[in-house]
Amino acid sequence: MMLLRLISWPYARKHLLRWLLTLTGIVLGVGVFVGMHTANQSVLAAFHETIDRIAGTTQLQVTAGEPGFDEVVLEKVQALAEVRAAAPVIEATVGTDTGNVLILGVDMLGDRSLRTYDFEGTDAAIDDPLVFLAQADSLIVTRTFADKNGLKLNSRVPMKTMQGDLVFTVRGIMKPGGLASAFGGDLAVMDIYAAQKFFGRGRKFDRVDLALADGVTLEQGAAKLRTALGPGFEVEPPSSRGDQFEQTSRAYTLGSNITSVFALFIGMFIIYNTFAIAVTQRRAEIGILRALGATRAQIRTLFLAESAVAGIAGSSLGVLFGIALARGMSGYIGGMLSEVYGVAQHSGELELDPWLLGGALAMGVVTSLFAAVIPARAAASVDPVKALQKGRNQALTERENRVRRWWALVCATAAGVALLLSNNSVMFYAGFVLSVIASVLLAPTLTLWLSHALRPVLSALRPVEGTLAADSLIQGPRRTSGTVAALMLSLALVVSLGGLSRSSFASLSEWMTTALNPDLFVTTGETLTSRTFVFPALLGEGLRKIPGVAELQMVRSVRVTVRNAPVMILAIDVESLEKRTGMRPLEGDVRTMYKQVARGEGVLISENFAHLRGAKLGEVLEIPAPTGMLRLPVAGIVRDYSDQQGSVLMSRERFIQAWNDDSVNIFRIYLQPGADEAAVRQRILDAYGKTQRLFVLTNSEVRQYVTRLTDQWFGLTYIQIAVAVLVAMLGIVNALTVSITDRRRELGVLQAVGGLRQQIRHTVWMEAVAIGFIGIVLGLALGAVELYYALGIARRDMIGIDIGYSYPVGVAAALAPVILIAAFLAAIGPAESAVRGSLVEALEYE
Amino acid sequence: MSRKLIPWLLLAAPLVAQDARQIIEEVQRRQRSESQHYEGTLEVTGGGNRIATKRWTFDRIGSFGSSKSILRFTVPAEVKGVGLLIVNHPERASDQWMWRPAIGREQRIALQDRSTRFFGTDFSFEDLEERDVAQFDFKLLGDEGGVWKVESTPRKSSQYTRSFLWVKKENYTIVKVESYNKKGLLRAIDYRDFEQVKGIWTARTTEIQDVPRNSRTTLKYDKLEYNIPLKDADFTLDALRRGT
Amino acid sequence: MIHLRGVSKRFEGKSKVTALERLDLDIARGEMVSIVGPSGSGKSTLLNLIGGLDRPTEGEIELDGEALSKLNDDGLTRVRRDKIGFIFQFFNLLPTLTCVENVSLPLHLRGWARKKVDERARELLGMVQLSHRLDHLPDELSGGERQRVAIARALSVYPPVLLADEPTGNLDTATGDEILKLVHDLHERLGSTILMVTHDASVAESCERTIRIRDGRIVADVRNTRKERVRS
Repeated sequence: MMLLRLISWPYARKHLLRWLLTLTGIVLGVGVFVGMHTANQSVLAAFHETIDRIAGTTQLQVTAGEPGFDEVVLEKVQALAEVRAAAPVIEATVGTDTGNVLILGVDMLGDRSLRTYDFEGTDAAIDDPLVFLAQADSLIVTRTFADKNGLKLNSRVPMKTMQGDLVFTVRGIMKPGGLASAFGGDLAVMDIYAAQKFFGRGRKFDRVDLALADGVTLEQGAAKLRTALGPGFEVEPPSSRGDQFEQTSRAYTLGSNITSVFALFIGMFIIYNTFAIAVTQRRAEIGILRALGATRAQIRTLFLAESAVAGIAGSSLGVLFGIALARGMSGYIGGMLSEVYGVAQHSGELELDPWLLGGALAMGVVTSLFAAVIPARAAASVDPVKALQKGRNQALTERENRVRRWWALVCATAAGVALLLSNNSVMFYAGFVLSVIASVLLAPTLTLWLSHALRPVLSALRPVEGTLAADSLIQGPRRTSGTVAALMLSLALVVSLGGLSRSSFASLSEWMTTALNPDLFVTTGETLTSRTFVFPALLGEGLRKIPGVAELQMVRSVRVTVRNAPVMILAIDVESLEKRTGMRPLEGDVRTMYKQVARGEGVLISENFAHLRGAKLGEVLEIPAPTGMLRLPVAGIVRDYSDQQGSVLMSRERFIQAWNDDSVNIFRIYLQPGADEAAVRQRILDAYGKTQRLFVLTNSEVRQYVTRLTDQWFGLTYIQIAVAVLVAMLGIVNALTVSITDRRRELGVLQAVGGLRQQIRHTVWMEAVAIGFIGIVLGLALGAVELYYALGIARRDMIGIDIGYSYPVGVAAALAPVILIAAFLAAIGPAESAVRGSLVEALEYE
Repeated sequence: MSRKLIPWLLLAAPLVAQDARQIIEEVQRRQRSESQHYEGTLEVTGGGNRIATKRWTFDRIGSFGSSKSILRFTVPAEVKGVGLLIVNHPERASDQWMWRPAIGREQRIALQDRSTRFFGTDFSFEDLEERDVAQFDFKLLGDEGGVWKVESTPRKSSQYTRSFLWVKKENYTIVKVESYNKKGLLRAIDYRDFEQVKGIWTARTTEIQDVPRNSRTTLKYDKLEYNIPLKDADFTLDALRRGT
Repeated sequence: MIHLRGVSKRFEGKSKVTALERLDLDIARGEMVSIVGPSGSGKSTLLNLIGGLDRPTEGEIELDGEALSKLNDDGLTRVRRDKIGFIFQFFNLLPTLTCVENVSLPLHLRGWARKKVDERARELLGMVQLSHRLDHLPDELSGGERQRVAIARALSVYPPVLLADEPTGNLDTATGDEILKLVHDLHERLGSTILMVTHDASVAESCERTIRIRDGRIVADVRNTRKERVRS
């Protein structure tokens, strides 16, 4: 400890800026990890809380996927002796002037046996369900919501419903706490039968919440209910809704984990770099300490202790940074997940998990310690006599390099073997990690080779400055290769993510051109994914008669749990689909598959469904429906991007039969040749817009919407890219700062023999740009490998789409100047400090 | 097996009897009528409620086991038109539907909800239905000077674990009922202002008290008539929907 | 050639250290002057000031007609580049560059054509008898050879002034003498003005003029007799 204070602190203080830069790697790594996970956890916690609060004393919930089920199911449930109380529920998220509000449609008569409604005041209207029920516009709101919107009893609340914008009346205000705190308090309760009407749900419920009779266990009750209701129904405790939710966010978590591991990895290199340099610079000091009697172990401990302190400082800052990051991200994740689940969370308070924070802290410290192991060993092995002699010794020994090359070869071979066995997930990921390690081990050697190769080029450009810049790289492999490795890793990440994004965008556009080709889309919401409201099928008949409409497809999209995942069932007129789009299957016979599906004897599944859920052509898929388990063979696998979780396409007739539901989410309309898009749109709006909640979107609007969604999805990717590039830039600044310190004398000599300041700057700049260049070369090369793995990860565990490998030449071409300019910018500061120092000191420096 | 039922709400009937079951059966016999009509006025007081007045019209056809009733609210304006159809079954609990004009549909009142309060009054839905005497065990607890005290225990599921009935010997009218659940006294009903209508001793006022909530509801019967001509067709779901 | 008027140099720190105190000095063109004095007397500081590596706290230095105080950093650099050659005790050769490259350094910095630079560098290395070491790295040379490379570098543009800071200080006696001889040779052949800091009395005496400094002041300024010089 004393040593730390006496020896390390003065050094650290002297190189404060560099240490801060060094910590940045850890800060970012830990920060991204903490940020993503905290955001995730907070969203999940909020979701769980909302579920819990809404659940009340509900022990089991009966659901049948998104389409819900007929009212008779309620009577079946209530008829069971094991059920003490059962109450139907409809949930809908509805837009208001002050954001989304979760509407809970309940039967006020029976619901109180499951949920406690704690009302303010003693208003008779609320106490008297008769008034509440007699008036269809009755609404109970929470105190939070009331305050936010300035509502009192009998205030009017406009809301968007299936029948257009309607005005509701506040007939009760719930006290905060319990149910009233669900969904962040943005909750309103309405009579369920009114909700059916206003949200176009027909005579259906979303689910039935129930409590069991005394003495009946959850298992018994659930088993009895399952038998009574049949396979189309799910009977689970409320908490299992959260479990599914977690599964949905798994892909997302995976992505964020990879990013933070990368950030940490890059951070580790920067730390390694800094320590390696510190050991070199402090050789004399170490020599003196050794001469004064310090043991090797003490020296090693000193450096490890320094790295531990750095790790703790960096990780702590990282945790703080992560918490800030989480604040920004939780809304985004919440939005994404609520899209999948309809009802979801309300980004409220951040949920800080002490284990997560502690773990992240430990991770940062361990990374820091790990990075310092080799430099600490090098420090311990410093020979006191040699250290005290003049001159420096910092070249990476050839032996060290050879060892690294051997290990690189071993890793590369192992990665190759893993690639052959990549059917196995573990092997695949092992191959990924090994290939990265191999490249990192090779980085110093490759850096050296490239520096040698660059020397004549740089000399030709600027005989003195260029040569010296190249020599600096060659002579300072410790300071160069760490930075190059960090740069390489981050650029590889950029290339692979960029490639992934480009490739998937390409296939997405292709899909949009072939499959998303109707001229107009009639929807219940501004977006294609809004499923709060549905249309009656009857509306379709009316739309068909509108002049200019050539063909109309009715689409019903519902989320149903198939193979334990909430996938999207798309029910559509298959024959029309075949005629209009004729999507070519990835697998299956294009001539027969549509017909088979149209006959109701099969389904088409999306590629991502096939990958994520492991479904094969010809396999029989079990789809739970309220009328019983549907068993339909997979007739074809098509490229369909309708849903991240995967989609199953079936004939509309079959769906209506199985779900007893002929409602429609989207009407796809093809116009007659020569019909005016705007005119038809107007006709539809004129005919139905007043009495119906209805939106008419043109093809280009829909495409824009899809593109925007994808952009959003990749929005996070761009943040990751920015983080990676930032880390790498800090690495360059770090390397250069060290480089000019190391080369002070050299630069001094240069000035003494007539080098102008501009010439000194040039050499620093050239060194930076050369580091950038080498990083680009290696990064783009490694990126080619990583892109392969990124596509694999995407296919296996994230989006399930097999995206063809295509190297993002554009991204690479755009990256090169960006990185070179960034490197140059990073060099400006160090270059200025290089020309500012005292010449005399520089020359005496030794 | 007796097919006779206890109408908790509407009663009166005299006969000499020895054991408790016979007493109750005699109560029912004397109460028997083919149809009934009245206009009820409800006042709910106490229990933190504002004094709220509601009016309804009530029609019943058939007696006991096979009776059907329709109840329609007339006052206040915001609940006008809301109706309730009760179809009693001799062997099981009644079916009940509520008509909701605002959303234009009827709504079944589930069995499990029968213990909930009947629209803000101190009655529960269960209190509105008739039950077969066979569904209860009776025990004569005593003779309190002109009044028998009878304990009834439900054989089937009910919100109540037991009730005490006070039956006036003079004319076999029930003058008071106390119903208990596990926690204690839940509801107490007083029958008052007895009057003979078409030979049937009828209470013109019923007061029900929700003991835990300390709230009471007074129901006054006006234009009470028995054995008037009513059609079966007016006691169906369709009729409920028609709102006549 | 070189004129110092009232030149002082103080180092600011926790305590002020005065390295030079109101120094006046004139050195004529073609003179070969040695500066001697004990450690810390200020002799290196004097050399650094004359060479434009540092600026005096006060006073005026004129070198070959240029008032150094009127020049900015780049101006000073140009003076160094065009008029001064430096020879350091530790040679200060760039370890990564070959002999030719090291000697070429100032010429490249002046923007000479590659071919001309190469010719001049070879010529200079020949002058210091190192034609056989052209493509060797400094590490592969002996101390004497390194100093000769440094001298060749200092001479690269045939500067009118040559400043040497303990040129023999890091060499054994024999090599030192050899280097000294080379310097004398060059002085005679090129006629440069040479200023040499040394603590070696015999080296000092071999020069035409010896200036003795102590505590930042000139305490002696002697012209050595030819006889003494010939002896060396």
